[in-house]
Amino acid sequence: MNLLDKVWIVPAIMATSFLLILFFGKRAGTKATAAIGIAAVSICLVFSVVVAGQWINRVNHPPTGAALAADIKQANGLTPQTPNEVGSEVNAATTDSGETVATGDAQPSTEAQATTESQATTESQATTESQSTAAEGEHETVPPVVRTVTWFEIGPIHFEAGTLLDGLAAMMLVTVCIISLLVHIYSTEYLHGDERFTHYYAFLSLFTASMLFYVLSSNTLQMLVGWELVGVCSFALIGHWWEEKKNTDAALKAFLTNRVGDMGLIIGVVITFFAAGATSFNVLHINEYALSGGANTTLLLVGALCLFGGVTSKSGQFPLHTWLPDAMAGPTPVSALIHAATMVVAGVYLIARLYAVFFQGLGIGSSSLHYVAFIGGFTTIMGGALAFVQTDLKKVLAYSTISQLGYMVMALGVGAWTAGVFHLFTHAFFKACLFLGAGSVSHACHHTFDMREMGGLRKHMKVTHITFLVATLALAGIVPLAGFWSKDEILAGAAQGQGGGAYTLMLVFGLITAFMTAAYMGRAYWMTFWGEYRGHGTPHESPKVITVPLAILASCAVVFGFLNFPTNFFGLEIPKGLTVRFEHYVQPTFAFPAVQAIDFRPVIAIISTLLAGAGLAAAYIYYERNKGPHGLTGRNRAARAGYTFLENKYYLDTLYTDIIAADTKGPLARAAYWFNQNVLDGIVDGAASVSKKVSVFVYRDVDQLVVDGVVNGTGLVSEESGQFLRRMQTGKVQQYAAILFAGVVVLAGVLVFVV
Amino acid sequence: MLAHLVTFAWDAPSVDLHALAPEIVVAATLVILLLVDAFTSDDQRWAASSIAGIGLLVALIPVATLAYDGVSRVMFGGGYVVDNYALVLKALFLLSGYIVVLLSTNYIAEGDYWEGEYYQMILASVLGMMVMASARDMISIFVALELLSIPAYMMAAWRKRDLKGNEAGLKYYLMGVFASAIMLYGMSVIYGYTGTTLLAEIAPRIGELASSTPLITLGIVFVLIGFAFKVSAVPFHTWAPDTYEGAPTPVTAFLAVASKAAGFVALMTLLFVGFWGRHDVWEPLIWVLAAVTMFVGNLIALRQTNIVRMLAYSGIAQAGYMLAPLAVAGTSPEAASQALHSIVIYLVIYAAMNLGAFAVVLAVARKTRSAELESFGGLFSYAPGLTVAMSIFLFSLAGIPPAAGWFAKIGIFQALASAGTTSGYVLAVVVAVNSVIAFAYYGRLMRFMWFEEAPDGDTTPIRVPASLTAALVITVAVTLVAGIVPSVVTHFTDPISLLALGN
Amino acid sequence: MKDFLNSWGLTLAMFVPLAGALVMLLVPKAKEHLHKVIALGTSLVVALIGVLLLTNFDYDNGRTLQFVVDKSWIPFINSRYIIGIDGISLPMIALTMLIVPLCIIYSWNHFPEPKNPKAFLILILILETGMIGTFCAQDLILFFVFFEVVLLPMYFMIGVWGGDKRRYAAMKFFLYTLFGSALMIISFMALYFLSDKVPVPGGGFAHTFDMRLLPMAAAGISTSAALWIFGGMFMGFGIKVPMFPFHTWLPDAHTQAPTVGSVILAAVLLKLGTYGFIRIALPILPHAAERWAPFIGLLAVIGIIYGALCCLAQTDMKRLIAFSSVAHMGFVMLGIATLTDFGINAAIFGMVAHGLITGMLFFVAGSAKERFHTLDIARLGGMLKQMPRMGWILGFSVMASLGLPGLAGFWGEFPAILSAYNPGGGLNVGLFRVYMVVAALGTVLAAAYLLWLFQRVAFGTPKEEFAHDPHVHDVSFTEYVAWVPMLVLIVVLGFFPNIIFHVTNPAVSNMVSAFTGTGS
Repeated sequence: MNLLDKVWIVPAIMATSFLLILFFGKRAGTKATAAIGIAAVSICLVFSVVVAGQWINRVNHPPTGAALAADIKQANGLTPQTPNEVGSEVNAATTDSGETVATGDAQPSTEAQATTESQATTESQATTESQSTAAEGEHETVPPVVRTVTWFEIGPIHFEAGTLLDGLAAMMLVTVCIISLLVHIYSTEYLHGDERFTHYYAFLSLFTASMLFYVLSSNTLQMLVGWELVGVCSFALIGHWWEEKKNTDAALKAFLTNRVGDMGLIIGVVITFFAAGATSFNVLHINEYALSGGANTTLLLVGALCLFGGVTSKSGQFPLHTWLPDAMAGPTPVSALIHAATMVVAGVYLIARLYAVFFQGLGIGSSSLHYVAFIGGFTTIMGGALAFVQTDLKKVLAYSTISQLGYMVMALGVGAWTAGVFHLFTHAFFKACLFLGAGSVSHACHHTFDMREMGGLRKHMKVTHITFLVATLALAGIVPLAGFWSKDEILAGAAQGQGGGAYTLMLVFGLITAFMTAAYMGRAYWMTFWGEYRGHGTPHESPKVITVPLAILASCAVVFGFLNFPTNFFGLEIPKGLTVRFEHYVQPTFAFPAVQAIDFRPVIAIISTLLAGAGLAAAYIYYERNKGPHGLTGRNRAARAGYTFLENKYYLDTLYTDIIAADTKGPLARAAYWFNQNVLDGIVDGAASVSKKVSVFVYRDVDQLVVDGVVNGTGLVSEESGQFLRRMQTGKVQQYAAILFAGVVVLAGVLVFVV
Repeated sequence: MLAHLVTFAWDAPSVDLHALAPEIVVAATLVILLLVDAFTSDDQRWAASSIAGIGLLVALIPVATLAYDGVSRVMFGGGYVVDNYALVLKALFLLSGYIVVLLSTNYIAEGDYWEGEYYQMILASVLGMMVMASARDMISIFVALELLSIPAYMMAAWRKRDLKGNEAGLKYYLMGVFASAIMLYGMSVIYGYTGTTLLAEIAPRIGELASSTPLITLGIVFVLIGFAFKVSAVPFHTWAPDTYEGAPTPVTAFLAVASKAAGFVALMTLLFVGFWGRHDVWEPLIWVLAAVTMFVGNLIALRQTNIVRMLAYSGIAQAGYMLAPLAVAGTSPEAASQALHSIVIYLVIYAAMNLGAFAVVLAVARKTRSAELESFGGLFSYAPGLTVAMSIFLFSLAGIPPAAGWFAKIGIFQALASAGTTSGYVLAVVVAVNSVIAFAYYGRLMRFMWFEEAPDGDTTPIRVPASLTAALVITVAVTLVAGIVPSVVTHFTDPISLLALGN
Repeated sequence: MKDFLNSWGLTLAMFVPLAGALVMLLVPKAKEHLHKVIALGTSLVVALIGVLLLTNFDYDNGRTLQFVVDKSWIPFINSRYIIGIDGISLPMIALTMLIVPLCIIYSWNHFPEPKNPKAFLILILILETGMIGTFCAQDLILFFVFFEVVLLPMYFMIGVWGGDKRRYAAMKFFLYTLFGSALMIISFMALYFLSDKVPVPGGGFAHTFDMRLLPMAAAGISTSAALWIFGGMFMGFGIKVPMFPFHTWLPDAHTQAPTVGSVILAAVLLKLGTYGFIRIALPILPHAAERWAPFIGLLAVIGIIYGALCCLAQTDMKRLIAFSSVAHMGFVMLGIATLTDFGINAAIFGMVAHGLITGMLFFVAGSAKERFHTLDIARLGGMLKQMPRMGWILGFSVMASLGLPGLAGFWGEFPAILSAYNPGGGLNVGLFRVYMVVAALGTVLAAAYLLWLFQRVAFGTPKEEFAHDPHVHDVSFTEYVAWVPMLVLIVVLGFFPNIIFHVTNPAVSNMVSAFTGTGS
């Protein structure tokens, strides 16, 4: 049975698990709660593996003819009202790829319509491929499986919601499920006895659900929904121990920083929507538009930049990365799952999904505008540098995550799509492994993450040590571990560039980072596991529940690198069926820009490996052998300055928290409120009080001046002589007559002589 | 012309008894009262009020028959007309007279006043108003005015042992006299120019005198001022507050409603029939009067701590609203008829809500013996019924649905908009602004009743006598029904029109 | 059944509450429980009628008025008793019919001082009549009457059951709104006389207040006159919304009003203004609307940012929520100002969403006040620890309020922002794109003040003064009953926005077609 169009079940399962835990968790108790969660994720994992298998099968035996046509019709997500647009756009795309086809617009029946479209698309895509992947040429158009339902209707348009499944989605599906499952298991021990165990698992489930929802989204609006939902889960889980203000501050910071990026994301979604004809949010539709010749590149550029705003915050790119280190306030498994493996790569995934928009908008490979690539490259160096000055093990890993995310973004920025996604894939496992390892370590050392209180743990906790070492080497990019292949492909991509060496700078960034990564990871490794134990008590190895997941992840870090084994690895003869499988199955062949495949570059591979080795060596010498310029910061002013600069994280936090946020919350807000109370409200109350004052004046000084004045006068007189008549004759008559006649005369005069 | 008068004097005018029936009934009741008063001992004086009340109600019967008959009857060479307009207003006067009688019953009976004479005065005054409604001749208008005013002067001074009472009466009297003098002077000037006292004949002649002769203008202005005094328009309002405060509260109600209405009746008759041709003269005058009256009335009312005085000033402001449509009535016959209708509707609704308000004041004063705002504190806690009733009246006065006032105001807005002139819209905005200011003091009273505590914590319920209850029931009913189904009012006011509107 | 509904459904829905109120008038004050039962029963009957209306509503042509009743009312000004609902009014009516019973249930056991449930509940019922009437009325005068009727009960609610500054707040609320509506009625009158005469049932032609005919009849009005008329309506509706800078009555009214009062005020009363714009101002004077729209949009985005900033400056929870209303209604008005089907659909959705969400926030705030006897944010804290359920409900409402996708609030905000990208009615695109960016910035600020509130109120540990206070108990039964429907709706609408869009869209597209140029 074909599950590809039933993937919606996966997030649904997790959502159910969330509701179950939410409503019955407390009563059912911790064991049951964990059981529910784990069971749900396991089912999802099985499901996703099957789905992945079926996708691979689909790629091997791509649909043809009517099936293909139907799939494409389903995929390009245009509402039936506007079939012509499809045709025209596809044709546009075709002409774009320099191929003329007989457009089928003339043909009346939609079926025929669809077929011609399909031909058009097939050919256009085929040509695209034949350009890009001429190397193997076994690629055919395999449209993703899209199944949608009407979500809401505005104006004449019905907006669809649904699932989009292709290699990329399937890959994410598997990754998320594996890591989520391991984290679920791991947490049973790690969070054991936590007062909010249920709440923790509930949000773990909700997060998994949202993340799966996000990766399966068929349109940008849906992606926005998932994007925000994972943000909320991250908020809740960072603030898991919300009694401490520090944690809640971190949670708020994470959410608000992301909100800033989301501003860009929202506007980007809006712009791409209108750019692509204001008819659909469908991802493939937008991509198709971007590839069509008629695309408005300025709009695409602006749109891409706005979308990248979202990426910047979610995937911790400079300058919105500052929330990620603070996010380590959450429980460690959460950091592993959300802030290393899955959620933070949502941004990278967004670029990969809407790659056509970025590719065309930023003119990757064609123009000199390397915004994405540069930000990525800069972030990776910046993050790496910060990782050196951390004494908190998790912080080291956090900055390393930032740095690695920068790597992925850079890869996509230079057009090495597969490389970037592949690195996302491999990184997820060994970084999760590292985090969980760190968790295991702190589990052993009385819940501290301060590396100064660790050391020598290799004797006490063997499994943790080994797995941590493997993951470290993988991250450092040592042959033949996963990190090596993905990182190396990125460097190759940067070197190759799209259409020739446009990205030398990124290559340099990449190489420097390769060294730094190895160095700071070496530092962390030696400070933690070698030397003498500096903490108190005696550390102990964690139980199986913790070590087994570590082992699994470590093994993943070993093997997954081979999934994209390069074709010409030092001229080795490897059957085609084994090389670049990842690229073959994951890289879209439908509505996808013409990226060049990256060939393996021995030189770069060797250099980068040497650099990594050098990094490790340096760390070993400096931290283990205690050689080298120790106390340099004490002696050298410049070094000290640099060190403080790093310690203060480039003063970005100062800028955000103390200047921008504080001023908005403080002076600005108070000013607005003051304006409200004293100016706006002042006017209102002023009007009231003025009319009161006027009334006083009119009454006392005009009206009663006469009337009461007289009355009082008479009252006075009456006291002198109680004579009634006398009183009545004092003045009042004249007074009244006076007014009456005055009025008469004035009015008469006015009307007679003026009117 | 003189000849005309002579002949007019000699041949006996044809008297249509049916047409005069209402007036006759009232007059008869008046005589009966005299006799009863003469031949009964003090302990049977209570009869007076019932007789007066019955008389007023009986007088409604011929009014009804005449209305059913539907033909407008012209008598005395056009000097006295009984048409729908007259009938509607007569009915209004009779009913408000009846309500006033209801209000007075206990008040007069429990104070040491002469009951018999009191009711005779009311009847006489009502009679004057009824004549006013029909009068289409300057002489008869003047007679009617005096007939309704002189008894009012006396009633104002009815609490003769109370200095304020006397003061009230005398002030009212003197000012009235001055006003009458000025008005009479104006009338004589107009007569001198047009040679007739018949409004229907004045209209064309002053219309002919296209070149605005100052004296005609002067005449018109003086006459109008005479009635501006009656309707207590600023700056001729000075008597009102003191008189209202000093006079017995039922009398105040009577003055505030009935005699003001009479003033408006005369004003409309004069403007629409007599001075139609010269709206260039009276429109600006009334525009100014209306605007000033609204503002001054409302602003001063803001300061009042005595409810009766507050109602007095609110009444002044209301007069301002009612004057407003007249300020644009001249632009077109449609505008004129809109104005006429809106004012009559306003008069009807105003009578109901204002009398009702005074009824509540009377009822509360029976317990608190005071009309100060504070004395209404916490009324809701011990007299919810009265509080709700008073709130209905106040909301009505403020023009908030569903109490009838909103419809009256709508009528005013409509009349002002119907002219389609800038001045009309500006005046409409003035009315709008004023109705906001007005709520400030209505709301203040509301605040005392609902939000405050009883001043002396005395929360013994109020015993409301039957007659007052009746008055309250009637007024509340009218206020609500007219507010929810305004067509019950418009049904009667629809057919009215004034002669000159055609030409 | 259908016939009965067609002829009587709406009328019943409007006046059943009034009938209930009259019955309660006759019941002696002492029988408090009986009063509660009658009031709840009445509101439930109304809700039942509402359900019948919902089920019998013909959704396929939501653009046409249904359940129309057209009877003579005031022949003198040719104002008729015309009621009917289409896709635009249906959600509003449903919201009203939902909120009122919930409010009655909520106040079941805790009436604000001075208790007197009789008067309190009677006022709520009168309020319901007024609100439903306003949404049903299809005649300007009828609309005006109900629009004003709504004022009275709210005035008393604030004035009698309100906080310390209740008198000031009540008076301010009343005078401010009265001022607006007075100008509004002048506009109606001008509209009445300046629009063409239409045939009347009795034969002949006359001016009309009939909203169904006015769009055609008013076509002939000169531009300048139309602008003035729209201006008058703008004052009337804009003050009610409230739009910056006419919002200053809102914080006081909200802060002083009793909980239920605040809820109804936020949930329904504010919508009367925006509804007026959509129902009356835009369709009848589309071209004047096009001239006013940039100005309205400007005030809207100012309101968004300004309200948010004022929120950040608040120390009182209720006042903060009140200011957040200013910001949220800014989004609604922005949507309306774009004159696009996207924007106006979003506006209606935003009205419902804001009603539910801000209503919830006020409920929670009220319950917190009841337990802590203060809403001073500085003194609160650790709600999650002391009353976890209420804490999470607050958190949920906060998330919904900051426009989290997947919850109702999002569908009011995002389409509004989106529509500003490409406004209709030949509006200045550049200008509105600036508005779009500013509005988007508003979402950031919204997150800031709401989460900041949540952090200070719910996170952390309880302050000493309340740590061991026996009064502080978690969500009570009545609170659950009153809240759960709203919470569920917030989620359901968030995931299936079409529930509302499907209803409103036909009517809106129909209306938008009146504007020159096409937006999306």
